[in-house]
Amino acid sequence: MKARAELIAGIVVVAILAAGPYLSPLIHVDLSIVSEVLVTALAVMSVNLLLGYTGLPAFGNAAYFGLGAYGAALSAKYLHVDFIGAVIIGTASALLGGLILAPFLLRRRGIYFGLLSIAFGQVFYFVAYRFTDVTGGEDGMNFPRPLVLGHYAINETTFFYVALAAFVGCLIAFRTVVRSPFGRTLVAIRQNEARVRYLGLNTDRFIFVALLISATLAGLGGALFGLLINFAYPLELDWHQSGFFVLMMILGGAGTVWGSLVGSFIYVIGKDIISTQTSYWQLYLGGLFVACVLAFPRGILGTLLARLNARPAAADSEPHG
Amino acid sequence: MDSAMMLEARGVSKFFGGVKAVDEVSIGVREGSIHAVIGPNGAGKTTFFNTLSGFYFPDSGRVTYRGSEITRLANWKRIVLGMGRTFQTPSVFAELTVRENVMLGVRARAGVAFRLRPPAGEERETLEHRVDELLGFVNLGRSKERLVAELSHGGQRLCEIAMSLSTEPSLVLLDEPMAGLAETETDRIITVIRDLRQRLGLTVLFVEHNMRVVLSLAERITVLDRGKVLAEGTPSEIAANEIVRDAYLGKEALDHV
Ligand SMILES: Nc1ncnc2c1ncn2[C@@H]1O[C@H](COP(=O)(O)OP(=O)(O)O)[C@@H](O)[C@H]1O
Ligand SMILES: [Mg+2]
Repeated sequence: MKARAELIAGIVVVAILAAGPYLSPLIHVDLSIVSEVLVTALAVMSVNLLLGYTGLPAFGNAAYFGLGAYGAALSAKYLHVDFIGAVIIGTASALLGGLILAPFLLRRRGIYFGLLSIAFGQVFYFVAYRFTDVTGGEDGMNFPRPLVLGHYAINETTFFYVALAAFVGCLIAFRTVVRSPFGRTLVAIRQNEARVRYLGLNTDRFIFVALLISATLAGLGGALFGLLINFAYPLELDWHQSGFFVLMMILGGAGTVWGSLVGSFIYVIGKDIISTQTSYWQLYLGGLFVACVLAFPRGILGTLLARLNARPAAADSEPHG
Repeated sequence: MDSAMMLEARGVSKFFGGVKAVDEVSIGVREGSIHAVIGPNGAGKTTFFNTLSGFYFPDSGRVTYRGSEITRLANWKRIVLGMGRTFQTPSVFAELTVRENVMLGVRARAGVAFRLRPPAGEERETLEHRVDELLGFVNLGRSKERLVAELSHGGQRLCEIAMSLSTEPSLVLLDEPMAGLAETETDRIITVIRDLRQRLGLTVLFVEHNMRVVLSLAERITVLDRGKVLAEGTPSEIAANEIVRDAYLGKEALDHV
């Protein structure tokens, strides 16, 4: 029953999103902003897996996001790869980044995990900032959006559907992961890691895999973001950016499958609408955030689902087996 | 090394800053026995359990399990080898149901915890059946779908015991399994501990304060005091031991045993 309700709700949401090219003009939002919502949601999901589900303060996921964006940008500009190649190289760069950082992060917990994540992110930030010749430094680098297979240009509408397909694919994969025995074990690690170890499980191994999945997701989001705006800039890697991802996760609902989309939707669309009205947009957005957290202590979706289920957290409802 | 020894510690010490929480403690737990560790608060019982189970490693000394050294073996590997433990404060997944708690261990044991595909069909039934079996053993079947946070203290203890059995251990370490329980709940746990050996054939090492319980359950007792072994022996030896009487038990406590 519950699974069916979720399936129907999911189909409705995706159908509404698919009508984005027709609906976005109605709310005076550019279609590229809706694309931004979708690719940002991937980065928020990546934070959600580590922080919302596993309880690891992923305060540096912009590093993977930025690696994705720069990987796509650099490969498009200097290697002249096509669109698909740029997405793959961007995502792979983030996965590689994850492989390099994971051994250091693996054994850290709590605030130490968070601080080290920030520190590593800042290293990437400074590299992008300093290597002006290659990356354009502080100004960032623009590049023409590559063609698919060197032939087919991708306009804003096509790009939107590419982003939507990526989002739906990742959402299904994400849902599969968090509801699997592996994902349930991640939730158990968040609640009581010592007990998980005393069930004979090497929690480091679970966290290692979660880190790699997270880096890959953020990297894909970053690569698509770079290709969306045809631009890569150091602030994408910065810890402020990581903070926004965390904010969006909290806004939508930590430990919920769809919360990332909700958080990213409100943040990105909210920012777009408010910033065209006033230059104090950050103040209003901050106010909106505070209001949301007060009204929805578990995030918008987390709170609504908890009320529906009368269960403490949506992340913890498990399919039998 | 005595082959009938399930778990042995030789000269195990653990310091916290200047505090010698465990000081050169040796113990031998025979296969198939129920062995109790007693001692006043702060004697080092929990710390000793922590060094035995690899919660942290001792500063010196050796720990062996079935004759092989495990002194610095990662805690999760000890579980794979066949050890299980509970904690003084029940260590459970409070936000999950009783069934989900036990299922985590059952899956771990079955080697499917790392999978991305939930078990289905026959495999799933086997796992569910195992969960039911374990819950039946601790008499928690009726609370299966309740959140552990909603259970009584005693219920949480039983859930934790079921969880530590889910990995099919040969030896279980129980840290004060009866602390803070009502009389009726205590009886339930006593029955479970007896059954651990009689029905499941396990070796049990447990910490307990209640002397009535210790003397009726244990075949061997180790008395700890200020980190050191004060005495070791059978219940009647311990009950008759003058040093133990003076140092810890108080004459009155044992006079009517
Ligand atoms: N993690 C710790 N850090 C510092 N001191 C500790 C720690 N754990 C235990 N102790 C100290 O070690 C001594 C033994 O404690 P514990 O093993 O908990 O005793 P028991 O379980 O017999 O009541 C106590 O003095 C306690 O304060
Ligand atoms: Mg203790």
